[in-house]
Amino acid sequence: MGSDAIETTSSSRQQKPPVALTPETEFRVQAIGDAEILVGIPSYNNADTIAHVVRAVSAGLAKYFPGRRAVLVNSDGGSSDGTFEAVSRAVVDFSALLVSDHQSPLQKIITPYHGIPGKGSAFRTVFEIARRLKAKACAVVDSDLRSITPEWIELLLRPILEEKYDYVAPYYLRHKYDGTITNSIVYPLTRALYGQRVRQPIGGDFGFSGRLTEHYLDQHVWESDVARFGIDIWMTTEAIASGARVCQSFLGAKIHNPKDPASDLAAMLMQVLGAVFALMEEHDKVWLDRKESMPVKMFGFQYEVGVEPVNVNVERMIAAFQLGLEDLAPIWEQILGREIVAELLPLRASAPAEFRIADDLWVRVVYEAAVAYRTRVMPREHLLKALTPLYLGRTATFVLETQGLTTAEAERRIEQLCLVYESRKSYLVERWHGRPQV
Amino acid sequence: MKDFFDKALLAPLEHLGGQVLAVLPNVLAMAIIVGVGVAAAWALGHAVERLLRVMRLDELCNRLGINAALARGGVKADPSKIVGRTAYWMVVAFAVIAGLGALNLQPINRFAQSFLAYIPHVLTGGVILVAGYLLSNFISQGVLIAAVNAGLPPARLIANMSRWGVQLFALAMALEELGIAQSVVIVGFGITFGGVVFATCLAFGLGAKDLAKDYLERTLSSRPRDRAPDDIRHL
Repeated sequence: MGSDAIETTSSSRQQKPPVALTPETEFRVQAIGDAEILVGIPSYNNADTIAHVVRAVSAGLAKYFPGRRAVLVNSDGGSSDGTFEAVSRAVVDFSALLVSDHQSPLQKIITPYHGIPGKGSAFRTVFEIARRLKAKACAVVDSDLRSITPEWIELLLRPILEEKYDYVAPYYLRHKYDGTITNSIVYPLTRALYGQRVRQPIGGDFGFSGRLTEHYLDQHVWESDVARFGIDIWMTTEAIASGARVCQSFLGAKIHNPKDPASDLAAMLMQVLGAVFALMEEHDKVWLDRKESMPVKMFGFQYEVGVEPVNVNVERMIAAFQLGLEDLAPIWEQILGREIVAELLPLRASAPAEFRIADDLWVRVVYEAAVAYRTRVMPREHLLKALTPLYLGRTATFVLETQGLTTAEAERRIEQLCLVYESRKSYLVERWHGRPQV
Repeated sequence: MKDFFDKALLAPLEHLGGQVLAVLPNVLAMAIIVGVGVAAAWALGHAVERLLRVMRLDELCNRLGINAALARGGVKADPSKIVGRTAYWMVVAFAVIAGLGALNLQPINRFAQSFLAYIPHVLTGGVILVAGYLLSNFISQGVLIAAVNAGLPPARLIANMSRWGVQLFALAMALEELGIAQSVVIVGFGITFGGVVFATCLAFGLGAKDLAKDYLERTLSSRPRDRAPDDIRHL
């Protein structure tokens, strides 16, 4: 797959009309004319953190891309906490950063976005501005980041500008219990399906080429759930499936504003899994024939870093799984089939010491759920939300198996799981073609 | 004697014969209408059943849980057959009413008119019942999943209550549509529904006092929850 190989899919053959911008934004875009680099920051009530992100982006652009015309776009969802003012006021003391050449002043565009509220709509506005400015390289970073440094900007943009990559996924160092949906489902599944080992497919901070921006804008997804959520996995999957050149950049630790981890896990899982399964349907011609996976080029100097400790209540996870097994077994049978539920039944009264959902069983659960999503055995929202106790059971298993292990050792455990996903892909392909469970 | 014979015996027989001859075309018309109607009903019922099988109605109903509900109610026929038979009997009923109408008898005409006027109510009531059943299944499944994800142990009880609540509501609406004891239905529904809510509140307040206290504390109080910490980040 070369750099000129971004394919148009069936949903992108017709050129879409341009996205509407506000008159002020139109005026700013026309005044700027064109730019080589664009960095987008979606926001919604992030006044506490966004100034730091803007300063890091400004410093990164001045330090690593001093001669290039760059634009920073803040696409805001109607914040009422002063996010707008925080972005406007954020300035960098370049002398303190030993940055001598900052002759190309950073242009800022602060704009509200139109459409369905959500990160996806914010990104769409960023993409549209990038298209109008004919940006060669773009990056998007979250507005609640506390650990972003100027180096992130270089690592997300330089592979695009100088190595002709189309898409740069982030690679973070995270606690072994941080990102458990990514570790147990999204990363192994994406890797097994599309054959590329992108470790953080839903990282949230990405770099991408102008051509890939055009491809994104031409897709028929902006009125769907992608506009609300699932934009991160959509961008990664779309990049891989379209044949774009994909790489990763090592960004160190990712620390961002803490959110209540218990805040509606079911909704979160539904959003992510819904996007992954919908993309499986759309791109089945791409992944059905792919076998094995390939490492993805990594840029950046890798180092060890201390990560924040994570408290885990395993007993509560197991209790949630067992309550699910007690009450949702008939629904699980509809989704997963009787055989798989029968294999789960012995866990009904397991003590934490013996509680385990084996890799092979878990992989079949995920694959059967994907097939059930496709065949619509029940309303999709119910199907996805009914998987929450199963996910908690699997997360409890992972925690129990990796207690006392270092992050690197836990990573090897995830690698084992990935290999099971890959080895059982033939099972998924057969079930996808409608063959009965064996 | 001959005069008596003519007047007493032949005249009534002639009158009766005349009446029979006057009605005979109507009877014949009725027989033809009913016969054609039954034949048409058979053809239509058969066609509807075949069409629904081609459209895979049975599989759809299986997914919606209708087949299981029918089996629970002792109905062995599949939905396509049921709809086909319903179409058959509806056409037969229409044919019989139309046939009786051909006799041109006042009481039968009045009955046919009121029967035809009632059919829309029957159909509306049926639609309400079917929609209520499907909606109750959808809602109870959603409630069950939400209750399990919220960690509520009586999840199944809550889901069943939501199912029966919706079905009871649909039944009350259907009976009201049919005009069957309207005031009794409305009052009965109000008393039953209010009673269920009141009983639930009492049961929750008395039987699950600690759970209610814990729930209210967690909802209304800003103090941290009394449980082991869990700050795992899933994404």
